[in-house]
Amino acid sequence: MLATEEAVEQMWGVTLDRLYDSEEGRRILSCIQCGTCAGTCPHGEHMQYPPRRIITMLKAGLIEEVFASDSLVMCVNCYACQSKCPRNIRLTEILLPLVKEQTIVRLPQMPPELQKAVENSYRYGNSQGESARKRALWTKTATVPIRILADDPRPVDALWFVESDLAFHPRGQDVARATARVFDALGADFAILGNEERTAGDCGRLSWEPGLSEALIDYTMSILKKYEFRRIVVSDPHAFDAFKYRYPMFGFDETVESTVSYVHRDLEKIRPRLKKRLEYTVTYHDSCCLGRHNKLFEEPRELLLAIPGIRLVEMVHTRENGLCCGGGGGGMWLDTYYKARGIERLSDRRVREALDTGADVLAIACPYEISRFEDAVKVAGAEGRLRVRDIMELLVESFGDA
Amino acid sequence: MNSNGAIRIGFYICHCGTNIAGVIDVDAVAAYAASLPGVVLSRDYKYMCSDPGQDLIAQDIREQGLNRIVVASCSPLLHERTFRGAVERGGLNPFLVHMVNIREHGSWVHEDGGLATTKAMDLVRAAVRRVVHHIPLERSRVPVHPDVLVVGGGIAGIHAALTLAAAGKKVTLVEREPSIGGHMAQFDKTFPTLDCAACILTPKMTAVKAHPNITLWTYSEVTAVKGSVGNFTVTVKRKPRYIREDLCVGCLECIDACIYKDGKFADEFNLGLSKRKPIYVPFPQAVPAVPVVDPEHCVHLKTGKCKDLCVQICAERNAFDFDQQPEFIDITVGAVILATGFTTFDAKRIPYYGYGVYPNVYTALEAERLVNASGPTGGEIVLPDGRAPASVAIVHCVGSRDADYNRWCSRVCCMYSLKLAHLIQEHTKAEIYNFYIDMRSAGKSMEEFYNRVSEEGVHLIRGRVADIYPETANGKDGHIGRVIVQAEDTLIGRIRKIPVDMVILSVGLQPQDDAEDVRRMFNISCSAGGFFLERHPKLAPVNTFTDGIYLAGACQGPKDIPDAVAQAGAAAAEALALIDAGFVELEPNTAYVMEEECSGCKSCIPLCPYSAISFAEDVLKATINAVLCKGCGTCVASCPSASIRQHLFEDAQIFSEIEGLLTHA
Repeated sequence: MLATEEAVEQMWGVTLDRLYDSEEGRRILSCIQCGTCAGTCPHGEHMQYPPRRIITMLKAGLIEEVFASDSLVMCVNCYACQSKCPRNIRLTEILLPLVKEQTIVRLPQMPPELQKAVENSYRYGNSQGESARKRALWTKTATVPIRILADDPRPVDALWFVESDLAFHPRGQDVARATARVFDALGADFAILGNEERTAGDCGRLSWEPGLSEALIDYTMSILKKYEFRRIVVSDPHAFDAFKYRYPMFGFDETVESTVSYVHRDLEKIRPRLKKRLEYTVTYHDSCCLGRHNKLFEEPRELLLAIPGIRLVEMVHTRENGLCCGGGGGGMWLDTYYKARGIERLSDRRVREALDTGADVLAIACPYEISRFEDAVKVAGAEGRLRVRDIMELLVESFGDA
Repeated sequence: MNSNGAIRIGFYICHCGTNIAGVIDVDAVAAYAASLPGVVLSRDYKYMCSDPGQDLIAQDIREQGLNRIVVASCSPLLHERTFRGAVERGGLNPFLVHMVNIREHGSWVHEDGGLATTKAMDLVRAAVRRVVHHIPLERSRVPVHPDVLVVGGGIAGIHAALTLAAAGKKVTLVEREPSIGGHMAQFDKTFPTLDCAACILTPKMTAVKAHPNITLWTYSEVTAVKGSVGNFTVTVKRKPRYIREDLCVGCLECIDACIYKDGKFADEFNLGLSKRKPIYVPFPQAVPAVPVVDPEHCVHLKTGKCKDLCVQICAERNAFDFDQQPEFIDITVGAVILATGFTTFDAKRIPYYGYGVYPNVYTALEAERLVNASGPTGGEIVLPDGRAPASVAIVHCVGSRDADYNRWCSRVCCMYSLKLAHLIQEHTKAEIYNFYIDMRSAGKSMEEFYNRVSEEGVHLIRGRVADIYPETANGKDGHIGRVIVQAEDTLIGRIRKIPVDMVILSVGLQPQDDAEDVRRMFNISCSAGGFFLERHPKLAPVNTFTDGIYLAGACQGPKDIPDAVAQAGAAAAEALALIDAGFVELEPNTAYVMEEECSGCKSCIPLCPYSAISFAEDVLKATINAVLCKGCGTCVASCPSASIRQHLFEDAQIFSEIEGLLTHA
C-alpha cells in the first residue's frame, strides 16, 4: 500500500487517545486478526506483542502492558506489515510509532547506542557525533566541482540533500563522490547545503523522539528558505521519506526526488558514458523506504541494467517482499541491544540471501546498507566473494575513466 | 368515479414504524397537507403499505369521493405498485396517485428532524400541486416470445436450461468453450458429500444434448442484444471448430490420426498441466463429443500443407470442413438467463506466495486436476519431479478478504480447501497444513464436514500466510526443494515456519474478465466488485433491473454448487412466470409525438437509446414505438419544436411540481 499524503496528514499529531477520530485510525477496528503482520515482521518471532496482538490489547484496554514490554524496540520500520495487511491498516505510519514512543519512554534504560545517536543528532545534527564543520570535507576529494550554497547562493535546479551517512562515513563518502560524478555527467545544475545541512530526521520520527524530529525539521526548513531551487534531490531514502511525508505537515511543499529516480529520468543522457563492461552478477537490495513505501522497484534495476555486462539476479525476498537490512526505525543503533537478546542481525540474514544467489556484487541505494552489509559480509566470511556497491558507484565504475 | 370533476385529494403519510416517524414529525406534515388547496382528507398511519393501510385508501376513495391520492412514504421503487393497486381497488385509475419519498430522501438521510420535517412539507406541497394534473392512463400489453436464451453452460446454465426444457419451453444454451460443464467439470469430488463431480454432472450434460427442447451451441458467444422484455433479438457468433457437429459421431479417431503423435500445446482444461494436440476434445466426457481444431497450431490451417491424416480417417463421415467461417445467427427469445460464471483469482498478483516462481506452488484448481483420475497425472498427487509430497500446505483466502485484491469472502474456499486436504491426505498420507483466517463452514452439512476433516488429523493453523520461500534450492537433478510457509499461528501467538513439499493456494472467485462487456451488452448493472447486480439482495435475487433478464450462479456472486443450482432453478421459474403469462404490461410513462407539431427534423431518432423512434415516411413525422420506449425522456428534452411529450411527465405536471417546491411555506 502506497502512503498517501492525506493519510499521513491524518496521522500527524494523532495520539492513542484520539486514534479513532480519523478514518485511517478507525481502520484499526477492522482488523481480522489474521496475523499477516506478525508473520511477515522480520522480528515478529521475537516480539511478545507483534502488531496483531497490539491491536487486540488496544481494543481490550490493555495497551499499557504492551508499553511495558520491549516488543516495539524490535520494530525496524520496514513497512512489511503495513504493505501486506489485508485491511490496509496503516501500521507503520500510524499505530506502531505511537506505541513505540510510549515503549521507549518506559524503558528502564535507553539502549546506550541509541541514546548516543539521539544525543549526537541533537547536539551536532548528525548521529555520528561528527563536527558540523566537517560535513562538507568530503567535497575536497571529489573529482568534480561541487557548489556549496552558503558560498554561492545563486538559484539552483537541484538542491542535493546529501545526509549524514554520505557526508561522514568513509564508504558513504565514496558514494557521495560517485553521486557527484553522476550528477556532473548528467549536466545537472546542482548544489549542496554543505556545513549548514543537518540530518533531516529519518522515515520514522527519528527513532521515536518526536521532539528531536520536529526540531530538526524546523531547522532544515529554515535553512531551505534561504535558497532558491527547483527540487530537492535526496540520497538517503530515510531522509527522502521524511521530506515526502513528514515535512509537508510543517508546511514544506517543495518537489522531492530520490537520487535514484532523478538519475533514472535522465538515464539516456549518461548511457553513452557507460562504456566499460562490468562483468558482474549483481543482486539488488530494495531499501524499505525507497521500495516498499515509495514503490521505486524498477528504476534502480533499470539503472543497473543500463551498465553493459551486468547480469541481474534476484534474492528470494525482493521488491514488495524485500527483507529489511535492520537499520530502520533506530535499528541502526540497536545491534548491541538485539545481540544481547540473541536476535540475529537482519543484515546477516540478508547477506546470506545475497550469497545464495551467487552474485558477486550486492547493489544498494541506501547509505545505511553499506556499513551494515559490508560488516555482515565479513561475518559471513565472504570478503572478496561479495562486494557491496551503491548503484552510483557502479555507474561511475562503468564510466571507466576514474 | 368521475376523476375529472372537482379535485378532491387524499393525502396519506406513513410512519414506517420509526423509520420515518422517528425523525419526521408526521402529525405536523399531515396537518400541513390538510391545509393545502385541493386536499380534502389527510391521514397518517403506522404502515401505509400494510393491508389495513391500503384498505384505508381504497375505502376513502369510495366513501369520500377522492379523485387524486398522494402518499408520502418510501421510494416508489418499493411501493408504487402497491399504492397504484390500492387506488385501483378504490375504483380510481391507478395513475392518479403520486408518491413522495420522505424516507430514503428524508428520514434516512437527515439527522435534524426539524429540517427533515420542513423538507417533507415542501415535497408534499410539490406533489399535491403535481397530482392535480394527473390524468388516467392505460397500460398496454405486449406478447412475450416463449423461447429462452441461457448464456453459459456451467452447472447453473445447465440446470436452468433443463428446468425450462422440462416445462416444455424451447431453450438455446450458448457456451463459449468447446464443451459445457464449466468449472464443475474440472473438479474431482464435491464438498461436503464427496460426490464425484463428473458422476453427478455428466448425466445432466448428456441430458442437455439429448433434450429435444434444447438447442446447444458450444464454442459460441453472444455478440449483440436488441429489444426488450418479451422480445429480445440476440446475435450469437458460432466459432468455427472445423468439424461439422451434424456429421461427427464423436469416435475421436481423428485425434489419434493427427500428425502430432503426442500432445504439444498447453491443455486449457488441465490448466496447462498437460499437453494436447491441435485437434482435441477438452475432456473425455465433453458434450458435445465433437473435437475442435485449434487454428493457432493446426498445420493444415496454418500452412495449408499437411498430410491431413485426420480428414482421411474421417472419409466415411466426411465431417471435416477447413473452410468453416465464423457464423452469426440471430435468435428471438422472450427471456434471458445469464449464467456466465466466474474466474479464479490470479495468484501471481500476490508475489510473496511464489506462484509461477516455485514449481511446487499450485492453485486449488490445478490441485483439483491433479487429484482427478482423468487429470494430467491420472489422479496421482505428484510434484514436477515425480515424487509424492510428504507435506502439503493449503493456503486459504488467496485473493479474498483483502483490500489490495478482492474485498469479498469467496465463500467456497474454506470448504474446498478442507476437501482438498481430505483428498490429498487420502491419496498420499501426507501431512496437511491448512492455514486459515476464519473457518467459514455455513450451510447444510458443512460444519459436519469440517469436523470430519479435523478428526482426520489435518493440521489447522489459524493465521494468514505471510511469506513463502524456498528452504533449499532445487537440485540440478530436477529435485524440487521444499518451501517454507511462514505465518503467525495466532492461537498460540508463535511464528510458524513449516517446510512443505507442496503448496496449494486457495484462490478466490471473481467476475469473469469480460463481465463488464456482458453487463453492457445485456444492459444490466454490476455490484462494486463487478459481479452482476440482482434487483434486490433479498427479495429479487435472480432478477436484474432489466426486465426479462435473470441471473443464475456465480456470475451474481461467489456460490457453491447447491446454491448455484438453487438459483438456476429460481431463475428458470422467474422466466417461466414471465413466459406463461404470455404478455407483459408496459408502464404508460412513454413518450409520444404531437404529430401536427413535429417538423420531421429526425434529430430525436439517433438520440433514442432504445431505438424506439422511427420516421414515418408517409407523413414525414417521427413516430415512437411505445413498446420499446423506456420513458427516459431524452427525446422529450431534445425536440427543437417541443412536439414530443411524455405521459406522467407532462409539462403541466413537472412545472406545477417545481412551482410547488419553490413556493416555500
